[in-house]
Amino acid sequence: MDALNQLFHGFGVALSPQNLAFVFLGVLMGTIIGMLPGLGPISAISLMIPVAFTMDPTSAIIMLAGVYYGAIFGGSTSSILLNAPGVAGTVATSFDGYPLARKGQAGKALSVAAIASFVGGTVGVVGLMLVAPSLSALTVSFGPAEYFALMVLGLTAVVTLSGNNLTKGLISGTVGVMIALVGIDSQTSTLRFTFGRHELYEGVEFLIVALGVFALAEVFVMLLRRGQGGGDGTITSLRLSRRELKEISGPTGRGSVLGFFTGVLPGAGATVASFLSYSFEKRLAKDGKTFGKGNIKGVAAPESANNGAAVGSFVPLLTLGVPGSGTTAVLLGALLVLGVQPGPLLLDEQPDMFWGVVASMYIGNIVLLILNLPLIPLFAKVLRTPQALLLPLVVVFCVVGVYGHSFSTFDLWLLIGFGVLGFLMRANGFPAAPLILGLILGGLMEKSMRQALLISSGDLTTFVTKPISATLLALAALSLLAPLYGAWRRTRRRQGLSEDDGRGQDERRKATAGGTRERKNG
Amino acid sequence: MFRTGRRGSRAAFAAVAVGSVSLLLAACGEGAGAASGGWQPTKPIEYIAPANTGGGWDTLARSSARVMDEADLVSRPMRVVNKPGAGGAIGWSYVAKHQKDPHKLFVTSPPILLVPLAGESDQTYRDFTPVARLNTEPLAYVVKANSPFKTFEDLAAKLKTDPGKVSVAGGSGPGSLDHVGLAGAVQAAGADASKVKYVPFDGGGEALTSLLGGHTDVAVAGGSEVQALVRSGDVRALAVSSEKRSPVLPDTPTLTESGIDYVFDIWRGVMAPKGLTGEQVAYYEKAFRKMVEQDAWKKESRKLGWTDAFLGSEEFGKFLDEQNKEYTGILTEVGLRK
Repeated sequence: MDALNQLFHGFGVALSPQNLAFVFLGVLMGTIIGMLPGLGPISAISLMIPVAFTMDPTSAIIMLAGVYYGAIFGGSTSSILLNAPGVAGTVATSFDGYPLARKGQAGKALSVAAIASFVGGTVGVVGLMLVAPSLSALTVSFGPAEYFALMVLGLTAVVTLSGNNLTKGLISGTVGVMIALVGIDSQTSTLRFTFGRHELYEGVEFLIVALGVFALAEVFVMLLRRGQGGGDGTITSLRLSRRELKEISGPTGRGSVLGFFTGVLPGAGATVASFLSYSFEKRLAKDGKTFGKGNIKGVAAPESANNGAAVGSFVPLLTLGVPGSGTTAVLLGALLVLGVQPGPLLLDEQPDMFWGVVASMYIGNIVLLILNLPLIPLFAKVLRTPQALLLPLVVVFCVVGVYGHSFSTFDLWLLIGFGVLGFLMRANGFPAAPLILGLILGGLMEKSMRQALLISSGDLTTFVTKPISATLLALAALSLLAPLYGAWRRTRRRQGLSEDDGRGQDERRKATAGGTRERKNG
Repeated sequence: MFRTGRRGSRAAFAAVAVGSVSLLLAACGEGAGAASGGWQPTKPIEYIAPANTGGGWDTLARSSARVMDEADLVSRPMRVVNKPGAGGAIGWSYVAKHQKDPHKLFVTSPPILLVPLAGESDQTYRDFTPVARLNTEPLAYVVKANSPFKTFEDLAAKLKTDPGKVSVAGGSGPGSLDHVGLAGAVQAAGADASKVKYVPFDGGGEALTSLLGGHTDVAVAGGSEVQALVRSGDVRALAVSSEKRSPVLPDTPTLTESGIDYVFDIWRGVMAPKGLTGEQVAYYEKAFRKMVEQDAWKKESRKLGWTDAFLGSEEFGKFLDEQNKEYTGILTEVGLRK
């Protein structure tokens, strides 16, 4: 009851006209900047920080938090419409969002994204409110060994993201991991794959790869088709049927919870969460095969997860004073300068701030929904833009996004390079999603593994003697072996049937029996 | 675009939309002009924090940039850019690419000496122009509240007898700030610093998380970074590395008090690319000298646990030479010098 009282008090704080205005301003800025490819929440928050420093700390954090989850909310729009992820956390959204848009169902995809984002954000806030203090225990329960195991589990999704050709998917994923290794190694400060280029010392920015491999490659493909075969601009219904709503309720609910808990772990964050959720739902769904071809569940899963994670990342920030992601790190810096020391004592010493922020997130999410839903028909019209215009626009957005991030022309060459790579991959049937997955998870996986081995003095059993790590690795093994086992069983059956004509009776009977049993079980 | 029609007007609209984005970006670059003779910056200053956001360097960059912008000490805005990784080498390798560029500055501290000494950077501190030293802060050696180590001597004793059993988390790469601050203290306490298991994390935040989760036994981090967790009782600070007790952790003894003859200050300052003219250096030196006198800066320093310790460009250069000699000694002793 105490928490409820506190929350009411928090609403009192958040509902003051001034704070309401700041929530609105924050989410509006966030959602707009999030839509622009390349410009993510960090740029958005940095842009707002000078304004925030003139405000009272609670209002400032309410506004900056709004910018953050607003950007994640808005980031899906360009992923869906242009295949150009607005923020890193929405890369997975383009896997199904863009095919939907190509089929003329952009409005539907955007609606699904908005609803899933809203649910993800709201579930996240409920989690933050109810369990934040006890969740700090979960936050710290993940050490290097556990992160390694989580990343391994995440990487097994390469199998599901590979489409028809597993070998090509694995090659693609491996290249992604290799790209993650470019730069100065954080464990030994050794240069890797830098070819003497200072520009590569800092590694390759994730969004450059994502924009190149998805957006730019798509432009190349369209150019090659000379505008043929693109979406014809027709936009079918925007509304979701009752059946569709029911269909996405499962992925959205699971994605929200999964996303929130992933967000609570420092170092994982919205991008990892969205990929985990996407591949999880793809495996779970009966129509998993249609994922990647325009399944609304494939939009709902990552969108609910990344918004849940955005809120989840406030747990370590507010309860431990430790940033859980690049964006919350910026927030922490801002808070310190505002004279607020987040940490275990924040909840006791400055309950106004904690509960004010929590309450403002409820409001912010509703504002975002109200803000985004009516605009969907307008956004969807972007696709009616003639291709002769749309394609250059996409290129311009990519270039502005990349250059605005680093002010480096080298990065623009990288963007083009990855665009060409993405195009060649598409032309030769290599899926791009595993590359992105390897890039996101590979670096963290390697670093965690080496840290864990340092701590254990090189003892590899550290990964299986820790319960969390062992469980995650077991799940990873299971998710790899289950499809193999299934394939093996199918092959056995097929062989058994084809051997029917020539081979001995015994074998045939065994095979048939096995087949019947299997059908029954299935 | 002169042909009117649906397509044409769309094109015009698109051009305007794109134009306004770049206008928006450009508008952020306009700042008030502070009058002063000689050289003046002509565009926004890229102020590099060679670490992740939220850490000591980042906070230094953001606070000083803000105080300078607000007090109009520089005629163009200071724009903080984070270039994290590899104990700082990533950040300053970026600055080194821009020789003679007077619109790039970076905040710096001992790693600018330590990382090159460990052979892990193409540049040394001599490849940059010292602008000013601003302040100092102690390192803190912390353990979880339930740790068997009650004092730094307890830890040192364990490190002498069984170093393989203790893992120490730090927020920077091997041979960099946290590691040397640890190695120097351990060596001074009579243990073999090269045997200590030092685990590098990306920043003090990650290091402290691993300590809180019991994944590592000890953590080394800046005094201000551990402040909140010490106050809440989640971690215990065994010692601070400064000469005197730090106002941030007034109850924590110094190493010298604990009988270990070692002082390690995290000094922080500002450097510029090589090849700046005397006028350009003087411009920034003056600006920073005025900056540390601002009330806003003093207030912020108190909040963040920094002790003002200003040195101008020339003195800062000499100080760097001295520090470099001292660190060379420590690194050679512990076998990290390459």
